[in-house]
Parts: sequence; C-alpha cells; structure tokens
Amino acid sequence: MKLIKNDHLSPELPEFFQEFARKPKMEIGLPEVNRRQFFKISGIAGGGLALGLAMGSSPKAKAQSGGQDLSTLSPYVQIQPSGRINLFSKNPECGQGIKTGLPLIIAEELDCAWSDVDVVQADIDASKYGAQFAGGSLSTPMNWMAMRQAGATARVMILAAAAQQLNIPVSELTTSDTMVVHETSGRQWGYGEFAELAATMPVPDPATLTLKTRDQFKLLGRRFTGVDNHDIVTGKPLFGADTRMDGMLYATYTKCPQIGGKAVAFNEDHIKSMEGVVDAFIIDQFGNPKMFNPGGGDMFSGVAVVARSTWAAIKAKRELEVEWDLSDAEVSSWNDLVERAYALQDQEGEPLMTQVGPPDNRSSVPASKGDADGVLANAETVVSGFYEYPYVSHAQLEPETCVAKVDNGSVEIWAPAQIPQSGEAGSAVLMGVSPEEAAEKVVLHQTRIGGGFGRKLANDYVFEVVAIAKRMEGVPIKLQWTREDDMSGDYFRPGGFHSYTAGLDSVGNLTAWQDHFITSTGNDQIPMTSADINPNVFPMDLVDNVKLSQTMFHNAIPTGPMRAPSSNAFAFSFQSFMHELAVASGKSHVNFLLDTLGEPRLANSENPGSMHTGRAANVISEVARISGYEQGSSEPGRAKGLSFYFCHSGYVAQVADVSVSANKEVKVHKVWAVADFGFIHNLSGAENQMEGGIIDGISQLFNAKITFENGVIQQQNFHQYPLLRMPQAPELEVAFLEPEEFSPTGGGEPSMPPVLAAVTNAIYNATGERIRKMPLYELGYKLV
Amino acid sequence: MATLNINGQTMDIGEIDPSTPLLWVLRDELGLVGTKYGCGIAQCGACTVHLDGAPVRSCQVPVGNLSDQQITTIEGLAAADGTLTPVQEAWIEIDVPQCGYCQAGQIMSAEALLRNNSNPSDADIDAAMSGNICRCATYTRIRQAIKNAAAKMNGTAFYDATGAGETA
Repeated sequence: MKLIKNDHLSPELPEFFQEFARKPKMEIGLPEVNRRQFFKISGIAGGGLALGLAMGSSPKAKAQSGGQDLSTLSPYVQIQPSGRINLFSKNPECGQGIKTGLPLIIAEELDCAWSDVDVVQADIDASKYGAQFAGGSLSTPMNWMAMRQAGATARVMILAAAAQQLNIPVSELTTSDTMVVHETSGRQWGYGEFAELAATMPVPDPATLTLKTRDQFKLLGRRFTGVDNHDIVTGKPLFGADTRMDGMLYATYTKCPQIGGKAVAFNEDHIKSMEGVVDAFIIDQFGNPKMFNPGGGDMFSGVAVVARSTWAAIKAKRELEVEWDLSDAEVSSWNDLVERAYALQDQEGEPLMTQVGPPDNRSSVPASKGDADGVLANAETVVSGFYEYPYVSHAQLEPETCVAKVDNGSVEIWAPAQIPQSGEAGSAVLMGVSPEEAAEKVVLHQTRIGGGFGRKLANDYVFEVVAIAKRMEGVPIKLQWTREDDMSGDYFRPGGFHSYTAGLDSVGNLTAWQDHFITSTGNDQIPMTSADINPNVFPMDLVDNVKLSQTMFHNAIPTGPMRAPSSNAFAFSFQSFMHELAVASGKSHVNFLLDTLGEPRLANSENPGSMHTGRAANVISEVARISGYEQGSSEPGRAKGLSFYFCHSGYVAQVADVSVSANKEVKVHKVWAVADFGFIHNLSGAENQMEGGIIDGISQLFNAKITFENGVIQQQNFHQYPLLRMPQAPELEVAFLEPEEFSPTGGGEPSMPPVLAAVTNAIYNATGERIRKMPLYELGYKLV
Repeated sequence: MATLNINGQTMDIGEIDPSTPLLWVLRDELGLVGTKYGCGIAQCGACTVHLDGAPVRSCQVPVGNLSDQQITTIEGLAAADGTLTPVQEAWIEIDVPQCGYCQAGQIMSAEALLRNNSNPSDADIDAAMSGNICRCATYTRIRQAIKNAAAKMNGTAFYDATGAGETA
C-alpha cells in the first residue's frame, strides 16, 4: 500500500477554521511550525531552564513584558532546579483529553518521567501560542511536531549543560526518566542539577534535533489518566461555572422565545423590587446573532437581571414580563419544512456548486461529475430513498456561563470557551476598543469546559456577560444560563433531507449517485453554518457519476457545528442508503463497501487530506473480523449492522449487535469499533473518545429532536430532550489500527458518526424494516 | 443566623431566602462548587449530595426545609488527610472523566449505592445510577469503576481496565 506521510499536514486547516482565520478581526494565528524557533525564557524563580516557541512580536506580548522581546516567547517547558517539570498545555480542555495529551508528547521527547511533570494550563495569546481552540479534532495533529520539538530541544540543552558541568563528553551521556545517565560509570543525575546551566546553553536548530522513533517511545502509546482527575473527583474548582471573585454579582439574561425578537420594555419596577436584585436592564442586539460568528461580538437582545445570588437572579428571571419587538423574529416551523421537503422528494434542486482552490483564491465549480442521468437510465438496478434528520441540541452538561469584569474601558474574562481567542476578539468589538488596544484591554482566561461538543465554539454567552459587565463597571459579573436558556438558545445541529437515487451495474457495483440535498439558508445565498454539503462525502468521492443538487428553505433558526459537523447527520443517511444498495447488489455489506473502495489509493490524488481507501478497507475488514459480523445471528429479532465513515482525517468502522422486540423495544447489546487515527499517543484518551462517541450517536439516533413553531423552540429541558442513561449503555469493544507511516489525527469527532447507521442497518437486518428518519422514537422504537 | 451541617462542620449561611435550593447555597454562599448545576429540575443528577447518607438532588431541596440533617458533598468524601475513598480512587484509575462536569454527582450516587450494597449487580448499578446523565457518555467506565470500588472495599481482586501497572 502506498502511504502518505502526514507529519506536516498541520497547516491544512479545514474550511471551517480557515473562515475564522480570514476574518481580520478574529486574530487567530495559523501555526507556522517551520518559521518558529525555540528560545530560552528567563525568569524561573531560583533559576532553571524555561523554553518557549517564538511566535513573533505582537502588541500583546510587548505590553505584557514592558517592551522586552523575551515575552514574545511562549513557555512550553520549565525545568526547576528541584527537578520538577512544568509543561504548558495550550488548548482548551472540554473533555477531549488534550490537557493531558499535548504535555505527554513533550514529556516523551524530553525523556522525563510523567510523575515528575506538573501540567499548567497556558494563557490565551495567539502571539505566543498560535491558534488555541478545541475543534475539528485538530489539537493533536496541529501540535504533534511542535510539542515533540519542544521536548527534544530542552533535552539537548540539558545534555549540553550536563556535559559541561560534569566535564564528560556529551557523546557519553544519555537520558532516561528525568535523569542524565553516564553509562560507562553507571552514574546518573537528575535534570534539576543542570537546569540553571542549561538556561545558558545555545538553543539547537530544530533541523538538528533527532526525534524518537515509535519503537523508542516510553510514554506515548500507553494509557494515561487525565491530569485533572484528582481535582474532579474531589470537587475542586476547575470549570467556568466554578469561577468566584470577591464582590461578584450574579446575572441571568432572558431572550425572546421567538428567536430574534428584541426587548422593548419589561416590568422593571417589580423586578428591581425583588429580594436580592441589584439591577435589571435591557441590552440591545449586537450584530447578527442568528448567524454563527464566534468572533464578532454578536448577541441577541434581552433583559439582564443582576442579583446578589444565582437564585435571586433566576427567581427574578421567572417573573419577567417582557414586551418584544417581533419584526425581525424568526417565523419558521419545522413541521412546515418537513412537509415542503417531502413534496420535493421526486424532484431535483438547483445544481450544487463547490469551492475549490487555496483560501485566498477560491473559485466555484460544479459539484457534479460524470453523467449520472445517463448511467442511471441504463443501470441494472436503481434504488431510491428519502432521508430525514432533525435539528439537535448540543446539551453539554455545563450550561453557558462566564465571568467578566469591566474597568476603565478594559475587560477581564474567565470563560469555558472552545475558541477563546475569538471570545477576546468579539469582546474587543463590543467594548469598542481597536485591535491595537485590544491586546492590553481585553484579557480572557481559559477554564476547563464542562462539555463542548461544539456549542462553546460560539461565544454569545461571553459577549452577553461583557455587555452586562459594561453596565456594572468595576463589579465582577457571573452570567449563568439556565438549562432552558441553553436548550432553546443553541446554535443547533441543523436538520435536513436527502433524496438519493443510485445505480448498480450487472455485477452489483455502484456506478452512479444522485443526491437532492434539502437544507436551510438565512441569507438566501448560502446554507446556514454546518448545513452545507460538499462532493467529498463517502461514497460520492469514489463514484464516477455523481449529480448533486440542492434546495434551500429560508429559515434562520441559528445553527452551528456540533461534534462531527455535517458528518453526524450525513453518516446516518449516506451509510444507511449504502446498506440499501448493498442489499440490492446481492453482495454482503462488507464486500459491497470493499468493492466501492477499490484499490488502495487516495480518493482525490491531488488532496493528501482526502480519504485513503486502503486505510478505510482495513478498518472495515477488521471490525467485521472481531465482531463476527459475517456469521450473523440465529436468534430471532437479533442481528448485527455495519457502518463505515471517514471524517476529520479519521477512519472508523462500527458494528452494532441489536435485538428488536415485537413492540419495537430495541436493545443495543454491544458495539465494536475499529479506528485508524494514525498513531494513538494516549490509549486511554482515544478509547474514551470512541466510547463516548458511540453512545452519543446512539442517544441522538433514538431520542434527540429539537422542533420549532413560528420561530419558538419547543424543547426546554431534559424531560423533553432525553439523553441516554446508564441502563441503555451497550457493551463496547474498541480497537485501533496504527499504521507505522501515519502520525496522529484526532478522535473526538470521527468516533461518533458511523454508529447511527450501524444501528439502523442492524434493525433492518433483524426486522426487514428500513429506517430513513431520525429520531427513532418517532417511528415507534424505544431504546431499552 | 441559620446554620447547616456540611461535611462534618457547622456552617453559617446568614440570612437567606428559605426558597433557595441547597445547590445554590453550596455554590454561591459557601464556595463548595464541586456540586454542579445541570438542569434545575432533578433530571440530570449533577447536583447530587447526601442528606443523612441518602442521595438527593440539591436543586430540589429548599434550604428552608433543612434543619439538623447531615449534608455531605463531593468535597467531604475524602478523609481529612486527603485519603480518597475507594470510589474516588477507582474513578481516577479507570480514567472515567471526560469533561468531568457530571462526575461529582455520579460519584455521590455511586457512594450511596455501595454503602447499602457492597456487591452490586449490573441491575443494581442501572437502578442506582439511572438518575445521573453523563453527556460525554462515560457510562461503561462508571460501571467498571463501581465494580472496582466494590472489589477494593471487599478486598477482592478487580479488573484493571487501564492495563495493570501500565497507567501513569
């Protein structure tokens, strides 16, 4: 198999994050590993080596350092004379394990014992750390090389210092477990003994560093538990919700139930007379908050209540009577969209165009290829299916919350945010400070995030508390959304529809694919965020004749990325329909997938980020083997289902073993997953992402649906939007293929999508009923 | 001035609106922020604490209804010298948390289960834990951690899902 090395894939950001980077006000720095150099940083108490990456000069860095160049360096490694090692973790932690994962990579090349390491959450500063965000399953692949180089650089400097201090040639010294070792004499010394002298050693050119090979790894590849686990199980303050400050007041913020309505007046006298209420006021809408824009300061109009306790603020919120201006409010209803979509199922939409080329020179080309109409007209077998999936809420367990304090035109923020740098940029806009001033006047501290799933990519709740704090000059304000605020005020996973028709030739091979994609638009030009489609979805990327068309309904219910954006819905419909085709082809599902994948190659030879069919085939074959998929089941009403999906550079195949009772009670007994995310550097973390992704997918498949009537979200809390609970959790078996040639990609997102179709395909195999609509409770199924 | 018995200590809570849920008294007035707000309607279990040893949803307990009951929160589980309970140890060893936000509530439910039932079956675990949502879906690890904690408490061998001696 011809394999592509992807150690240097980092600068290739997905479209979603490229969009952010193109906006000047966003100030997200792209990683430029090749242009960065490691430098020493002075200033450890008691002496010692502190090593950072230079990201270039910036107003922010200069302001923080009093004009000295040293502060343009970001600390990644600090070695104390005591031998303790501080490793700085740059990206937000939202449960994906990155606070543990990135320092582990440094520790490996530094050749230190993990027990000697203290992990420190880094400050937010693009000028020091480049892009800092939790999204796109990108934290590991974007930082893999830089973290290895940080560790290796510090190790070289320790060795050089040891050689000089001990008067032993450096060639006779080596390292192991935070010790410098002289093998000839058997003597060894802790790193701390050389930390002070190491700080005076020259910093090696990255090109001269010898990084470990995989067989030399002592830490990477094993299981490591989360660095915050002890604090979590003992209830220490960690999360955004846990931020407390002297003199802090508590706020709620109430927006129009009909999305986009603006507050005109409210029962101000009554609210202000309530016990514990300090102030209450209307805040105007800023920007266009129906559209997902994490860095613009965009926020809806609403009524803020500031009180002496969260409870007082919530009680007052419940008694609010608000007059709303509904002239710009949404009027769409989900049931209307469903009715209109089904009426279009036998029609084609507008021909879909797709963007190609480098970010600064995009051009629009037709997304279709070949002659789908002609091939379908002559196909041996033609299969059609119309698929529906709903709007879905992220429902992360920590409702939106944030603390901000405004003083003399400056603001300091403590936020559980997935793109904290955009939170700073948008807050600067709201504060009315220029980008030059923003470095000094807008400071955001990242906290642990109580679940993200993409919801906290949006920073609306950050902007709301900044706007409230601006009215409460000098007072730290903590904004707490209620669960009802969260569920009805999400940037939802958009619902959508696919009308598929596909053709098979005389030997059951897939020859043509048509998809009429029906989605929503807020501006009548492009689909809402995460409501678009491109021609690279498996299997369209491998079919010669593809016709992609689109119909957009005007509907600006806010949408945004949710774990595996687009893929979380496409995998259900595309891979259920692939199983329909496999059944029609007379082949086994495994063989139909493998035949569609064909010879090992890149799906698009010009795009090294496209799917590699050999890696895809390997995970499918392996999951079929470990699950006994081809053996089937002799038990009536019980069967296994298979699904494969490729997204976020990850290859995942899953098999679900499912029983369906006569009254449609479904038990998912077990799910097997085989993934190829390249090298797995923390096995426990990777398994956790896969286990969570599988159960997340099953939960959504059966029970997740957000509806809206005349622009009003109908679900408010978990009694109307049930999540999977302990009794319904299946047994899980997870395995990883780790081809030698590939460095790590991320697992948080690709772990989730395939399981939805694995379960629906299993239900088909068990009962003969094809499922083309989510959630399953609407079809009478019940997960038990 | 009102007082509460929390984690073995008598704590003043001052003059307070008696309708205030215990959850917000813990978090806002006493700074015991380990107990979490998730839904406010007893659906998610993130706010679970012990009232005289029994698990309750603190978002549903008005502080005015409390008198001399013993309240235990996640902060009160470990011994004064920092020694963790078998449940807390198992949670770390199995690497249960993902985001971690629900885990205080999960642990309080698990502790209550194991105090009444030192060898819970899968059905016992389902029944005791079904009131606690984990949005990251760490359920399989929670189940294993409860079994490991039970084995530790009973002095029997337990399954080490993280690989014996392999985990740092």
